[in-house]
Amino acid sequence: MKAFLVMTLTELKLSMRTYVYVFFAFVFPPMMLLLFGGIYGNTPSDFYHGYGAVDVLTPAYIGMILAVSGIMGLPLGLAEYRQRKVLKRYKATPIGTGTIMVPQLLVNGFMSIVGLLILIIIGKIVFNLHFLGNVFYFIVAFLLSMASVFSVGFLIAAVAPNNRAAMGIAYLVYFPMLFLSGATIPLQIMPKAVQVISKFLPLTYCVEILQGTWMGNPLGDFSRQIIILLAIAAVCTGLSVKFFRWE
Amino acid sequence: MVVETKGLTVKYKDFVAVDNISFDVAPGEIFGIVGPNGAGKTSTMECLEGLKKPYSGRINILGIDPANRKELYNHIGVQLQEASFPDLIKVEELCQLFSSFYKNPADYHMLLERFELTDKKKSYVKKLSGGQKQKISIIAALIANPQVIFLDELTTGLDPQARLDMWELIKSLGSEGRTILMTTHYMEEAEYLCDRVCIMMKGKIVAIGTVKELIEQTGISQKITFSSSNAKKQDLLAIDHVTDVNMRDGIVEIYGTGKNLLRDVTIYLTEHNIAFEDLSSKNPGLEEVFLKLTGFGLEKFS
Repeated sequence: MKAFLVMTLTELKLSMRTYVYVFFAFVFPPMMLLLFGGIYGNTPSDFYHGYGAVDVLTPAYIGMILAVSGIMGLPLGLAEYRQRKVLKRYKATPIGTGTIMVPQLLVNGFMSIVGLLILIIIGKIVFNLHFLGNVFYFIVAFLLSMASVFSVGFLIAAVAPNNRAAMGIAYLVYFPMLFLSGATIPLQIMPKAVQVISKFLPLTYCVEILQGTWMGNPLGDFSRQIIILLAIAAVCTGLSVKFFRWE
Repeated sequence: MVVETKGLTVKYKDFVAVDNISFDVAPGEIFGIVGPNGAGKTSTMECLEGLKKPYSGRINILGIDPANRKELYNHIGVQLQEASFPDLIKVEELCQLFSSFYKNPADYHMLLERFELTDKKKSYVKKLSGGQKQKISIIAALIANPQVIFLDELTTGLDPQARLDMWELIKSLGSEGRTILMTTHYMEEAEYLCDRVCIMMKGKIVAIGTVKELIEQTGISQKITFSSSNAKKQDLLAIDHVTDVNMRDGIVEIYGTGKNLLRDVTIYLTEHNIAFEDLSSKNPGLEEVFLKLTGFGLEKFS
């Protein structure tokens, strides 16, 4: 138990020292919000179906934060540890697999949650952000999205043969997902082709369910998204466990 | 015996990395495994360390089967070849992390003091020199308070001074009564540190014993070299204990055995008015044994 706590705290410190990670999880999303909020404001508009732009964009940016932690933070950290034989070194101690892997999930999850809080606080202070939904539904939507996005990241860590490959795959998954899923730019203004592509990106469903529950829709309206996200989480986790190599 | 290995075999598909080897290591012994790249040194070490699962044969470390990981790792300390630690971790954080892994960890403050790293506590591990990083990896191994320590190419890539420092450290660990199993590329290192040496090639043990025993077993001779303008091979071969003579471009190499070889040769040269210059004598060492047994030139095992 002590090993687990120390490992988790150590990993947390290491994540906080990774400036790129801190920037994309804590600074970049509020910057986007300030930029687009500054342009569109938060007064209800027809384009956003009678909602304020900031109220609609904030939950989408939460999807973006999840992608940073899940698609970049988690797999790049694990791939680096494998390549540099840190994982192998940990294996040569009495600690179990759980003490090595679970802190990775917890710390990256924690980074997302801190990113989410920073975004919400800045949105509230600058644009008087409104939360229109049920907190419990939104938390469920958030955790479900996290499970699905993190499982994709875990799969990247499992199949990438080395550090560079993991980086390549992560960028290849992260950036299209960021721009084509509605997490940064609303899908409504995208061309038809992009809207079709978006149907194949897990993050699209995260954004739909995060935005939906934020706006006050019950979870029941999103059974399709929930099933898809659960299926992604199950399949990716299963494949990861099957293909994961310690060295 | 602290380490018992019987009939150890490791196969990767069709390739046999370790081919039915057996050896024992006694308590307090510093035992070295040397051999060219691909000889099976690291595979052997990793089996003993419980890191390489599919092998055949029997391994016993302090009475523990390496498959019993948790028990094993509370009694052995491991330094892995080329393994490193997270980039952004600080020395003291790493020590605290490894301390948390064990029930009765050694006091890392004392280890840092002993290894002269106390003033580096707050430094990032990645900022340390190569020698300091290797010291950290030994500290991580020693935090387990191990009776047996495994060191896999600890000094590869270190500068000469750092390597000498490391030698003294290993000696001091040995004098504490800990058993050490190490692999190395450097013959002078094995010769200096190891009580017994095991030479491996192509997965097999070609020789095992103290350096002295190995020299006797292989019957390697002492070599005397000098330059001379009027020496004749026939005459030199007549000297007592001389077994072979090579002459090329005025350089004479005399091979022979026995304590008095050098004395006999110089007396002969003086008495027969044979001119000689730049005379040197080299006693055979592990390097010569290794070259003879493996047929590897120095350039082939870097």
